[in-house]
Amino acid sequence: MKKTNSKVLWDLFFTFFKIGTFTIGGGLAMLPVIEREIVDKKGYINKEEIVDAFAVSQSLPGVIAINSAIYVGYRIAGFIGALVAVLGVVLPSFIIILLIAVLFSTVSGNPIIDKALTGAKAGIAGVIAFAVVRLGKRIIRDIFSLVLAVAAFIVAFLFDINIALIIILGALSGFVFYRLRGDKEKWF
Amino acid sequence: MVLIKLFFIFAKIGLLGFGGGYSIITMIQKELMALGWITAEEYANIAAISQMTPGPIAVNAATYVGYRVGGFWGSVLATLGVSLPSFVLVILAAHFILKFKESKAVEACMKGIRPVTVALIASACIFFAVESFVDLNLPLYINPGAFAIFVLAILASTLLKMDTILIIILSAVLGLVIL
Repeated sequence: MKKTNSKVLWDLFFTFFKIGTFTIGGGLAMLPVIEREIVDKKGYINKEEIVDAFAVSQSLPGVIAINSAIYVGYRIAGFIGALVAVLGVVLPSFIIILLIAVLFSTVSGNPIIDKALTGAKAGIAGVIAFAVVRLGKRIIRDIFSLVLAVAAFIVAFLFDINIALIIILGALSGFVFYRLRGDKEKWF
Repeated sequence: MVLIKLFFIFAKIGLLGFGGGYSIITMIQKELMALGWITAEEYANIAAISQMTPGPIAVNAATYVGYRVGGFWGSVLATLGVSLPSFVLVILAAHFILKFKESKAVEACMKGIRPVTVALIASACIFFAVESFVDLNLPLYINPGAFAIFVLAILASTLLKMDTILIIILSAVLGLVIL
């Protein structure tokens, strides 16, 4: 019993270590890789459960990759499983970024690096602009969400009000708006 | 003292950072620039590097910022801080998954939060635009080369459906050549 348990934990660690090492582009890019490794290859959890895992990971706050590692690790091997999976998914970026941080202080200010970074930043602005339009089409579908998005943008951008406060206000206005409008059953 | 503060700031970001990497980037930026721990240019560079290296963008940014502010232990505490709230929330959600999925209260709050995350991602876009082709000291001036890369990146995502990372790497190469 104990033996199979530690084997599962090692397996979880290495699987998530691999996912953390080889997926560039953050949490959303990781989800299909997690599905392939955990569901298709290892069969640790089934297809239905991974859908729940992804829904929870994306709707809760926090880093999507960490959330899904916790969910999957916890379902497979309890709290220790969650811990091991997070360690696995975080460790590669931790090591790589630490190396870059040490190196970067010696190369920053280098005109060649600066040109490449300026190009990358312009490209990222473009990529994010596309993401805004794509997400906006899906999320902003009525007057309520439009007003909320515009108000949040103005407040965050022009007035420099704490973002945490804006998010809490967003949640509150959603709660109040749909509570006043919606049916009263099954609320809690 | 700085280390403890770093931990709590990233725990706050982990607790309230909805909508994944791009919106969390805006949160980290606002929090740290308000404290004067990092300049806009340095943060934009960090965020750009975070998107070209493996791993979750927010973890990369936390590790880098933590290192710049508090050395090795700074990066450990920033990463720990950003992950800690997830442990509590995700494990709770895993236990109450059915209630969580059917809760109208949760869904109503999410309907309020989602438009806010769109706004946060839009301000991340403007942040990168300002750091690459707009100069706030020279109103109406736009760096033509960097602006061209911005437009090409939009075209590559919309028309060619090109992979995000490939677009960013090609933008860096293009920057080397034309800027």
